Amino acid sequence: MRSSINRPPTPDVDEEPEKEPTLQEIINIKLIESGEKEKLMELLRERLIECGWRDEMKAICRAYARKKGRNNVTVDDLVHVVTPKGRASVPDSVKAELLQRIRSFLTSAAI
Amino acid sequence: MALTRNPSFTNPDPCSHLAEYRQTHGLKGYSSLQAHLRTAPTGRTAIGKLPSLIRRCAFCSLRRGRFYLCLICSTVSCSDHAAAHAGSNPGHDIAVDVDRAELFCCRCADQVYDPDFDIAVMVKQIVKLPESRESSRCRKRRANPVNFKDGVLTEAGLGAGRAALLHTPPLKDHFLSDRHGREFCCRGRRRTRRWGMVSGELPCLACDVAGVFSEVFSGARRPYSPAQFLYSWWQHSSDLAGYEQQDAHEFFISMLDRIHEKEQPDLQNRGAGDCHCIAHRVFSGVLRSDVTCSVCGFTSTTYDPCVDLSLDLEPCNGIKSNDNSRISTLMGCLDLFTRPEKLGSDQKLYCQHCEVRQDSVKQMSIRKLPYVLCFHVKRFEHSLIRRTSKKIDQNLQFPFSLDMMPYLSSSIIRNRFGNRIFAFQGDESDMSSEFSSEFEVFAVITHSGRLESGHYVTYLRLRDQWYRCDDAWITQVTEGVVRASQVYMMYYLQKHGK
Repeated sequence: MRSSINRPPTPDVDEEPEKEPTLQEIINIKLIESGEKEKLMELLRERLIECGWRDEMKAICRAYARKKGRNNVTVDDLVHVVTPKGRASVPDSVKAELLQRIRSFLTSAAI
Repeated sequence: MALTRNPSFTNPDPCSHLAEYRQTHGLKGYSSLQAHLRTAPTGRTAIGKLPSLIRRCAFCSLRRGRFYLCLICSTVSCSDHAAAHAGSNPGHDIAVDVDRAELFCCRCADQVYDPDFDIAVMVKQIVKLPESRESSRCRKRRANPVNFKDGVLTEAGLGAGRAALLHTPPLKDHFLSDRHGREFCCRGRRRTRRWGMVSGELPCLACDVAGVFSEVFSGARRPYSPAQFLYSWWQHSSDLAGYEQQDAHEFFISMLDRIHEKEQPDLQNRGAGDCHCIAHRVFSGVLRSDVTCSVCGFTSTTYDPCVDLSLDLEPCNGIKSNDNSRISTLMGCLDLFTRPEKLGSDQKLYCQHCEVRQDSVKQMSIRKLPYVLCFHVKRFEHSLIRRTSKKIDQNLQFPFSLDMMPYLSSSIIRNRFGNRIFAFQGDESDMSSEFSSEFEVFAVITHSGRLESGHYVTYLRLRDQWYRCDDAWITQVTEGVVRASQVYMMYYLQKHGK
């Protein structure tokens, strides 16, 4: 049998190039390291509870679990069902507030 | 363990993978995990190693979503790759959700529950519980409750309390429909004898209460003087009789006691909690007290019946810092009442698990709501240093409509322990489903003046109109007047719903 002479070179397993971190990743890491991400998460949680978003999500999950039967539902199922509805129903004021906080963090962290 | 259990509070059976893990590793994994748990000030417990290291899937380097830390080899996987990790490493089935400190079975791809795991997490959480600043201040104040003395004649304290009781709808219904059965009351020989009593025979207080009710609601417009009732009551409470001045709360408790005593022999009951006398049917609720050992996490739960709730006044924080007026609310006081409290080292309680006295955390909640809720505001402050007591003249804001749901045991325990399973073990039927948790205020007893001398006034709310009952004078008032006064006792009636 003839071996193909145009065979691509065997990739060296050890030579995985370190991917350049994207801007998003850099920001994420800076947010976490300064502790700002945790503060933002807490703020977000508070706002979403205040406006009733969490109760809505709870009701959706409950209805879904009731429909499918308690023992036929997994965490993954619920996450997949609830995530699109949740993302769509976050109030604009909450989005605006958090965006503002992130912006001011970025200017102060001089990225 | 109760024989019948509400299914929503039953401990789910462990999956086969969890059972296998427990057999092989026991509690070692849980205890070594404890060292890495970190509780945020808000109460959320998570794995606290360097976050940028942890939140990254070993397979796909994803940094978003849920991450699971394998209990055996500490590999972190995202939800998509958790199954792959378990597949390629047999026995590595059980992992912990990094952000929530909850167990996850990678093979079942679902959350699983183990009471021992939850206890391990809770022990760590308790140690981090912030010491409530109020509890250390309040401890100096919590000496002997001092009573209010009242106004002109002895009657005012009684009058105020009685006015509230007279307008308690279930009591009113009971006595007006002659449930007490005056005609047949064994002590009711009053028809033939008015004031002359054979020595040793006490007049029946309940008969006299019934008498008061029928006179008051007879529709006759003449002023009514409950002299017979007063005489009766003095006979029963000789320690409180005379021209001494009375405290409204004491009066209320003593009235309920007397009614209970009168009715109890006729009814079969097993104790105050199950008593079916009218006083307990209306006012009796059940309180739950959870005491958790700070060392081993073992929680001991006790249930006690109660006829009212005595609340400490919420220490004021003005809403605006430049506003010197002190504003506290009923909800704030209820929050204080149900807050987990670290007991001081002088109050170590015996832990059945450790078998010694340990530091503990105590939390109160309401297991069963009464039909009529009576709140008693502790407006006295006793200074041990100066050995004096004084009255706290703080305005307490209270809602006309009150939802008690957040203070029920089911809500309180769920908020404190989240999804932790063990908290509900052994809990019997969900008692909150029997009654509605929404209440409406119908009477308020206010006090003005000082500890040694002051005056009680009752405000009654009938068909959305407030009336001020000041001894013999009844006037219509606006709700603003009621809100501006200093409430001492508040009566709420359950809204009809179910």
